[in-house]
Amino acid sequence: MNFTLFKHELFASLKLFIIILAVLMLYIVSVIYMYNPEMTDTLKKLTETMPEMMAAFGMTSIGDTLIEFLSTYLYGFLFMILPMVFSIMLANKLIMGYIDNGSMAYLIATPNTRFKIVLTQALFLIISLFTLLAVTTLVMIVFAEVLFPNELDITALLLLNFGLFLLHFAISGFCFLMSCSTKDLRTSYAYSAGIPIAFYLIEALSNMGGSLDKLQYITIYSLFDSVQLIQQNSSCWWMLGTLFFIGLLCYSLAIRFFVKRDLHL
Amino acid sequence: MIEVNHLTKKFGDFYSIQNVHLQIPKGEVFGFLGPNGAGKSTTIRHLMGFLQPTEGSCFINGLNCREASATIQQFVGYLPGEIAFIDKMTGKQFIHFIAQLRGMNDYTHAEKLMHFFELDASRLIKKMSKGMKQKVGLVCAFMHHPEIVILDEPTSGLDPLMQTKFIEFILAEKDKGTTIFMSSHMIEEVEKTCDRVAIINAGKIVATETITDLKKRKSKKYMLEFQDEQELTRFLDEEYVLERISSTKVMITITGDLQAFLHTLSNYKIIDLDVISQSLEDIFMHYYENGGAQS
Repeated sequence: MNFTLFKHELFASLKLFIIILAVLMLYIVSVIYMYNPEMTDTLKKLTETMPEMMAAFGMTSIGDTLIEFLSTYLYGFLFMILPMVFSIMLANKLIMGYIDNGSMAYLIATPNTRFKIVLTQALFLIISLFTLLAVTTLVMIVFAEVLFPNELDITALLLLNFGLFLLHFAISGFCFLMSCSTKDLRTSYAYSAGIPIAFYLIEALSNMGGSLDKLQYITIYSLFDSVQLIQQNSSCWWMLGTLFFIGLLCYSLAIRFFVKRDLHL
Repeated sequence: MIEVNHLTKKFGDFYSIQNVHLQIPKGEVFGFLGPNGAGKSTTIRHLMGFLQPTEGSCFINGLNCREASATIQQFVGYLPGEIAFIDKMTGKQFIHFIAQLRGMNDYTHAEKLMHFFELDASRLIKKMSKGMKQKVGLVCAFMHHPEIVILDEPTSGLDPLMQTKFIEFILAEKDKGTTIFMSSHMIEEVEKTCDRVAIINAGKIVATETITDLKKRKSKKYMLEFQDEQELTRFLDEEYVLERISSTKVMITITGDLQAFLHTLSNYKIIDLDVISQSLEDIFMHYYENGGAQS
């Protein structure tokens, strides 16, 4: 790992990091603020009037506890999409951005092996994502404790967010793989954004129930099941394991691709 | 010492370079001439370890360019053919960034180079002209005292004054014993700096020879304007390869003895004499004519 490069990326991606984090925090704060055991009744009515629409965004059962409430309103859409956007943008910038504009030539013309460069970028992506979700978790805990002391099941939240991290670890791994293996920035963006978004839409469709239910077997988002994680069911462990494995596989393939590929610089 | 052994690179069905074979001893300044798309950059990318050869291999100081590229980069300086940087940085920030990636923390030589090339590096790279960007690249290529330098079209974007300064700089590096491999499509700059030159076209080496031989073989063109048509008609009886441009103008190609030509000219009334600088195409034509006959 090269610290000069790591430091450079840190400053270069700070703006994106702050924007994503700010939007996340805005929503976290307003959703927790909205939590009110009595108000859930109105939301229940809303769900009854248009169940498919709400189900598409994963808002099926409105739980009575704070953690269930949060998992319904944050983990269905916001926590899926925003970190995904972050992964897509950062993963493409970290490798394909340099290849596409040609400045990669300067990076690998220094006495650093390609392996070292790509490993630095991969670790940077993983660490950024981890930091993003760690700060998010912290904000959730602090804000929930301030507004509703002792209402939040912290163990369940930690497990839930750990699962969320593994899900985004896998997605970012896929984006990074595209960034390392495609021929230019446009193709890389097309695949690394298109495929995760398609998966998300499939997940949304499968949530609407009925015969579309079977679709859940072809989307990666099914491996993150907030209900199972909150209840700490035994099946949540193999799901987490699978997500970790997918992520690890994508990152290893990405590194291998980058080390072996032809670079026209 | 740079060795390129029967290097071939295929993209699909297209041969980008075919059986390129070069040997450049230590301390030599070697020119790599060819038109755009001839395979100069592809060859250079193999030397940098960016591309995997389809066939053949290349070595720098006995190290395989593909396998030991990181070790090789310690003593090699490189100027890419495409001018591209991280736009959001200033020139100085970029130079320091690359220096740090090299593990350097002494910027005195980099400062000296910036001063020599009259580069104001405090500006954002995005706002720099092509020539200024090229200078940033040159500083990055030379700041770590490399013993071998690979330059892909180093003078593109530089104004004539800077080109002269660059030639002066290359000659000073040559005196220090630096091995320099540079590609170009300008015969003049190669003539002024290089010891030897290889000419490449359509992926194949057409010729490798010393500059002295190249100059000897090189023919020169002159544009002559006669006082009137009669003078010109009289001149047509002389045995020269020429092309008539207008009623009083001819373009004449001279290979070899210039003295005899000048002597002949003194017998005619000439109002203008112009030297036409030779383009790369003319050199190629020369090699095609001769090379075609040999093979």
